[in-house]
Amino acid sequence: MKKRKLLTLVLMAGLIIALTFSSAVAEEFMVLGRSLKLFGFATQEFSYGFRDKYDTESNLNSALMNLFVEGDYQITKDLKFYGSGMLTVDWIYQLKGNHDSWNDQLFSKSKHNLNVDDKYWQLLKEANITWTPKNFMFKAGKQIVSWGELLAFRIMDQINPLDTRRGFLDVEFETTIIPIWLFRAEYYLPIKPSWLQDLGFEFVYNPNADFIPNQDIMTGNADGGIWAPNITTSIPFPPFKAHLATTYADISTPKRWKEGNEFGFRAKASIFDTIFTLNAFYGRNNSPVTLFTPPYISPVLPHIFASDGNLLLHPFQEGKYPLLKFVGVTIARDIPGLKSSFLGGVAPLVYLEALYAFDSTFTFTNPIVPVIQRFGKSDDLRTGINVAWKVKIPFLNPISYFSFTGEFLYRRIMDHPSVETVSDAGGTPLKENNYQTFLSVSTQYFHTKLTPSFTWIHDINSNSNYFIPKLVYDLDNHWHFTLGAQLFKGAKEGQGLQLFDNKNQIFFKVAYKWG
Amino acid sequence: MKRVKAFAISILILLLMVFIVIPAAQSQVKEYKLTLSECEEYKKMFDDPRPYLKDFYKKVVPTEVYRRLTYDVEAMKKLWAECVGFRAPDVVGKIAPEIKPGKYTYKDKEKYPGLKELMFPDYYKRFNPSTPPHVGNFSEITVVPTRQYFFALPVAEATRKNMGRTKLDDQGYIINESYNAGYPFPQPDGKFKAQQIVYNMFKRYSNFENYFITNRLLGYTKNLRQDYDGATEWYDLRLHGRATMEPYGWFDERARVNGEASATLIKHLAPRDNYGTAFSIMYYLDPDKFDQFLIYINVLRRIRKMSTTDTQDPVAGQDIIYEDKEGFSQKLSPKRYPYKFEVISEREYLIPAASWTGSEYINSKNYEYHNLEFERRPMYVLKLTQLDKNYVYSQRILYMDKETFILYHTENYNQKGRLYRTFDMVPYFIPEMGMFIAANWLYRDHIDQHSGFGLTYVLPAPWLAREHIDLGGLIKKGK
Repeated sequence: MKKRKLLTLVLMAGLIIALTFSSAVAEEFMVLGRSLKLFGFATQEFSYGFRDKYDTESNLNSALMNLFVEGDYQITKDLKFYGSGMLTVDWIYQLKGNHDSWNDQLFSKSKHNLNVDDKYWQLLKEANITWTPKNFMFKAGKQIVSWGELLAFRIMDQINPLDTRRGFLDVEFETTIIPIWLFRAEYYLPIKPSWLQDLGFEFVYNPNADFIPNQDIMTGNADGGIWAPNITTSIPFPPFKAHLATTYADISTPKRWKEGNEFGFRAKASIFDTIFTLNAFYGRNNSPVTLFTPPYISPVLPHIFASDGNLLLHPFQEGKYPLLKFVGVTIARDIPGLKSSFLGGVAPLVYLEALYAFDSTFTFTNPIVPVIQRFGKSDDLRTGINVAWKVKIPFLNPISYFSFTGEFLYRRIMDHPSVETVSDAGGTPLKENNYQTFLSVSTQYFHTKLTPSFTWIHDINSNSNYFIPKLVYDLDNHWHFTLGAQLFKGAKEGQGLQLFDNKNQIFFKVAYKWG
Repeated sequence: MKRVKAFAISILILLLMVFIVIPAAQSQVKEYKLTLSECEEYKKMFDDPRPYLKDFYKKVVPTEVYRRLTYDVEAMKKLWAECVGFRAPDVVGKIAPEIKPGKYTYKDKEKYPGLKELMFPDYYKRFNPSTPPHVGNFSEITVVPTRQYFFALPVAEATRKNMGRTKLDDQGYIINESYNAGYPFPQPDGKFKAQQIVYNMFKRYSNFENYFITNRLLGYTKNLRQDYDGATEWYDLRLHGRATMEPYGWFDERARVNGEASATLIKHLAPRDNYGTAFSIMYYLDPDKFDQFLIYINVLRRIRKMSTTDTQDPVAGQDIIYEDKEGFSQKLSPKRYPYKFEVISEREYLIPAASWTGSEYINSKNYEYHNLEFERRPMYVLKLTQLDKNYVYSQRILYMDKETFILYHTENYNQKGRLYRTFDMVPYFIPEMGMFIAANWLYRDHIDQHSGFGLTYVLPAPWLAREHIDLGGLIKKGK
């Protein structure tokens, strides 16, 4: 059965690849007198790890393939259908299926989770109908609604869940954001005073036709695969050290249709060359909050010990997807007064984003006895600023500009308990004040064909860092090559990005895009 | 929860009722467009010598629209000659008179040295078989008798009516409040003659006042390997100085109050990475007021405000910067990258002034142009010397037609004085409409040794309204 499934996958992949390269595939068809446009891409990526620890492997770590097809069919002047599908396969499970270390470290056990994305909502990405009569837009179906201004950190952008099971790999946007079943309506005022350049209203409704939460990185090699975080703890008996392994969790999900309905409302305006939005959301957090349940944390047969001799401890948890209610604002404008002819004459752009969430649910944990937990509520404030600036540095690049993008995120838990520690939905520990920064710089050479870039994410609270140096070469519209590295460095053991310290890797990706 | 649901449903019903109750301000004309595939049925990108222009607009544009945009040709000829003070056929023929109408190949260059004198240097160099590093040469041409060109009757009438009214300040920059409609300086003269000519070009009436464009642009490396294939749709509204399409003058009160020149929405159809991305640009008349530039980024599914001061970075995959659009689109300002303007030459040149038939084409094997018709044209050659050493270009040379103020050729030099980028256009001319269509484009990058050419299909779009190009229009056009 498994071989048949694998063979089916290979044949599907082969067919799609053949179609992609076939001259028979046209960019535009006429169907019933209307235009149908087809596009897509095929990518194959390999990542190569440096370290040989329990939570990682030196040499080949992943062989991720994505096959993506999208179609846009204009039914009438005002009615359009858009659909997309994707097949994601990590061939590492086939390539390393017989490797001792891969099996011994239990990476092979994560195959059920990470080998093939074959759930319907993973294969069918988007499928929606858009109707645009006059000043209205209605969109119904599986879709993406993206709010906010920041790029690296999600503040307002809470509607669609994310798939981060494969960690921080260099994935296409289409592989990360999960489209869900939504209804969206927008209206733009046709008549406005002259000082108001644009004014529109957006309403989003999620009927919870199918609850799809965030697909987070999972603990334990047997579930999380190569991206399972390296969470270890000391124990008072031999072997004196334990790895956190697969979590056994009973998470209650909102019942389809009856629970988990979500509502979003946004007003957008362009005033004096500044884009403002006011946002309100009532719905569910896409990640669960959890509590330990008996037996709390325990070894589980048959794998009591890890391949490095340490104990494997499995957390037992229960949880729920709590309510998320917030109001927020975004502002975007450039600052012409800061442009400088010497720097290339481009004004910086500033994007601000802030939301205030009411009665958010967190996990409060006793710091002395960590298995004693409770759900607690607190308001929380999340704010961020993004500054984007293009600067000319002639001695480094006489032709193209350097693009600098920096972000700063600040999050405050308004009623942070004085003693207990706090974890967010998804398990991220939070202090009363939390800070993160992001910086990216890129430029282009050889007639915009070669794009080197460097990205740095820094978590101030845990003093941990994530670096991505990257080189992208665009041979033409179709072929693209990427060579890069992902490097983690954390200062505090067991905190922040230090959990991924062993996962430094280089990656190489080939992409073919058509349409 | 039930109350929230009920509230949500009420909002939905309210929105629907608003839509039904408010009488829809129906456009006088139903929307009509052509997809790229449909356009290519009339004229393919390569190897297509069909003279499709002869009845294209009659077939494609609704009869009522076509009727409103066509005028008496003789009346247009007469009035335009009055506006500019001459007819082109009367003022050419003095340089290299031995070059007569007929067919010439590149091999005739030796036999007719007058061709070198008549063609500007870059054209003379292109008059050769195709050879790397650039596409767009031509090895054969047909010289036709010089023709008089003219503009739509309402444009000529507005030009004549407003002659002398448009003013420049003491530095030669236009006083926007003094401009009404038409070509502001049909007989450029005086201390700021060069700037007057440039303003004529900026106020041009080509491509219709509301237009819809389908456009394809191909890019080639120095080995003539294709590395870019892009397609876009453009929606453009002229918001001031309207003469041929209602509403005349200002598009609306908002345009007048805000000093809006035009608004454009560009929707990317290809390549795949760009598909679903859309740009909305609001151009202002005031050179010190920055244009508003919004982009719907396909991968983010978001609208992002961009800086319109970002005008010098190369457009990805192409051979232009933002301010090279249509040859030269940089705002003239004494404060931001100002120029010194000079008319360095006024004389006739042999150029492919316009295609009346649409039969010119590019060969798919060697990327040469064929069926180009060359005419002797009275031309201005302008030199714009950049006064700010930090600008990407040190100077621009513009070759513009004296009778029509159409910009045919631009040479842009970098700060080291080296030829950097050139632009060439062969427009279409629709005589019964008095209309030029910016149809055939050629861009060359002489430093990166890259080139590209494009074909544009333009339709008048009286159905176009602000809803097509504003924030809402941007979201609707995006993925």
